[in-house]
Amino acid sequence: MTSVWRRQLRRISPFLFILPGALLFGTVILLACVETVYISFHDWDGMGAMRWIGFGNYAELIADPQFYVSLKNNLIWLALFMLAPPLGLALALLVNQQIAGMRIVKSLFFMPLVLASVTVGLVFGWVYDPNFGLLALIVQAFGGEPPALLSDENTVTYAIVLAGLWPQVAFCMVLFLAGLNNLSSDLIGAGRVDGARGLAMFRHVVLPQLTQVSFIALAVSVIGALRSFDMIAVMTAGGPFGSSTVLAYQMYEQSIFSYRFGYGAAIATVLFVIMAAFITWYLLMMNRMERRG
Amino acid sequence: MTSMQKGSSILGASVSRRRLLVGAGTAIAAASLFSPAVAKGGEVKIISNLGGAEQRAVLARVAAAYEAKTGVKVVINNMDHEAHKTAIRSYLAVGAPDICFWFSGNRMKTFVVRDMFDDISDLVAREGLADKLGVTLSAVTVDGKQYGLPMAGILWGLFYRKDVFAEKGWAPPKTYAEMLALGQSARSAGMAPMAMGTKELWPTGGFFDHLNLRINGLDKHMALMEGKVAYTDPMLKPVFDTWEELIKADFFSPNGSSFGWEQAGAMLAQKKAALMDLGGFVQSAFPKEERDQIAYAPFPELVSGMARYEDFSVNSIHIPKKAANKEGARDFLAFFYAPENLGDFIEAEGGIPPRNDCPPSKDALVNTAVEELKKVKGTAQYYDRDTDPDMAQEGMKGFQEFTIKPERREQILARLEKTRARVFK
Repeated sequence: MTSVWRRQLRRISPFLFILPGALLFGTVILLACVETVYISFHDWDGMGAMRWIGFGNYAELIADPQFYVSLKNNLIWLALFMLAPPLGLALALLVNQQIAGMRIVKSLFFMPLVLASVTVGLVFGWVYDPNFGLLALIVQAFGGEPPALLSDENTVTYAIVLAGLWPQVAFCMVLFLAGLNNLSSDLIGAGRVDGARGLAMFRHVVLPQLTQVSFIALAVSVIGALRSFDMIAVMTAGGPFGSSTVLAYQMYEQSIFSYRFGYGAAIATVLFVIMAAFITWYLLMMNRMERRG
Repeated sequence: MTSMQKGSSILGASVSRRRLLVGAGTAIAAASLFSPAVAKGGEVKIISNLGGAEQRAVLARVAAAYEAKTGVKVVINNMDHEAHKTAIRSYLAVGAPDICFWFSGNRMKTFVVRDMFDDISDLVAREGLADKLGVTLSAVTVDGKQYGLPMAGILWGLFYRKDVFAEKGWAPPKTYAEMLALGQSARSAGMAPMAMGTKELWPTGGFFDHLNLRINGLDKHMALMEGKVAYTDPMLKPVFDTWEELIKADFFSPNGSSFGWEQAGAMLAQKKAALMDLGGFVQSAFPKEERDQIAYAPFPELVSGMARYEDFSVNSIHIPKKAANKEGARDFLAFFYAPENLGDFIEAEGGIPPRNDCPPSKDALVNTAVEELKKVKGTAQYYDRDTDPDMAQEGMKGFQEFTIKPERREQILARLEKTRARVFK
């Protein structure tokens, strides 16, 4: 009798352990997602009655020029954030050497990761200031006209992405540093015996061992690019005239400033679909990699 | 002004999560308000959005005096000014305090039409406030009923430095021609004629107001604010023609969209700009010892013979419909609204007192504004307070685009008209 009970308990216990996390995830993430999709079919100001309008919000979204500006900016973020893993790897290789003082250099490169992204945005906002910013001072020292990067619709997104890349590169660097510390010394020794060195060693011995880490760095960068929001809020508030807006910011602006929760939810749903597509691909790749060993 | 709350999330579900957070925040705020176990009727709960330490101190002092006098406990819950703008929507629905701070005019009406603010006409009548409030009473009135009490007012207009104008021999412009001439001489003196920082969008709304009030007058302006006039209406042509002419004459500080009003105010303080279009709070951009150099001038006349209308925005204080202790709230408001208490409170903010029997201010700018207000024929509040919030956001974005790319006027106005048609259906 007791042994049956014990066997049953053993079977249930994993579920019991998962339950608190699953409940939390279910309410905070899953339920919220479902509710967002539900809200996106309504005309709602966040307070009053909700009015069902079917795909009305989506129809408006397709005709909204601001939506395409946001989408384009999201793509710029995504493309430029792909620079973060290679740059992070380069930095990691640089600071991974046994040279006196390298610890200080390492922590300096690590620093932006410690800063809140709001702080990073603020600092870069000052650097870009055309009146007293560091960039303006440098350009003036060379006799140039200081550029107003954040006021020009053609440069503003790139200027913000550059600020966003700073901590992102540091993040990738840390990931690769951890990866470099886990390299198999047997393989490296074997490579050395076979006469591999320099680029050949890196290309054929080190890099293959970093595949897993690279994959994580890539995923983190993609998600970082898609969720970009705080830098934009701090540096330009989506301006000038909405030209630096991304989907996440447009959703915030519509819901909070324009009191249009339904429309905001529709934007959120689109962003969700984009992210879900990426995450599906990511999980598939992850699975395949694990199966290969 | 932007609030700096983060709302991003991996799964893109932040609208709901944010609502959840706001809701949770309100619940906590409400819980903390309810926690002291005092019998109902013996407590008045206030949610304040006051940013200034001096104002908070005055409110706390008045509350303490009220407690000492009546034995009724007053609980004040201070919130961040920008976060409060979002939180009010959920706390008015769930966990309402007895008194809250807000803004009069259309922003108040947003909640009045949703039946979230209490009708306090009885309090206004009981205290005989109608004669003492004068013009500001209309700011809290909807369909003949009052839904709040007006607090500090801001008179918007041009501000300049007396010492700079004296040194250069300039006078504040009274006409459009003088405005252009001043621009010319400011530029040749190496200054920007007018400092304007549009990063937070709203300064463009105020400038539009001034042009439109001077050119089309109050009634047509309010019709536009209420969505009754199209943004493509020919009446707006001279407004944007004038604006475009000023932009092309380099009247505004360059790269305005990279900075906010504080930095623009600093340009005025540092003598890098001659004028600024703002409210009396511009003085906070000045060092304390230089504040007596600031002077006010009305926005110049653009169409001769047009009566003088100004932007005069008024903050307000309300009793939520769902307040637990409405009688207690009325009693406290009556005490708080007594001339000496209210006077201290308004003085701490540097605003214009709403009632005419407050003690005179020690602030010269406030006294000037009070005198100027007497010459004004009628008032609007401010672009983003007079029109629908959704319209205001798109409108100010459009104005900002116009200040940078005036050649896109047709597209911008077409877009605004599309928004107007959607918002005011």
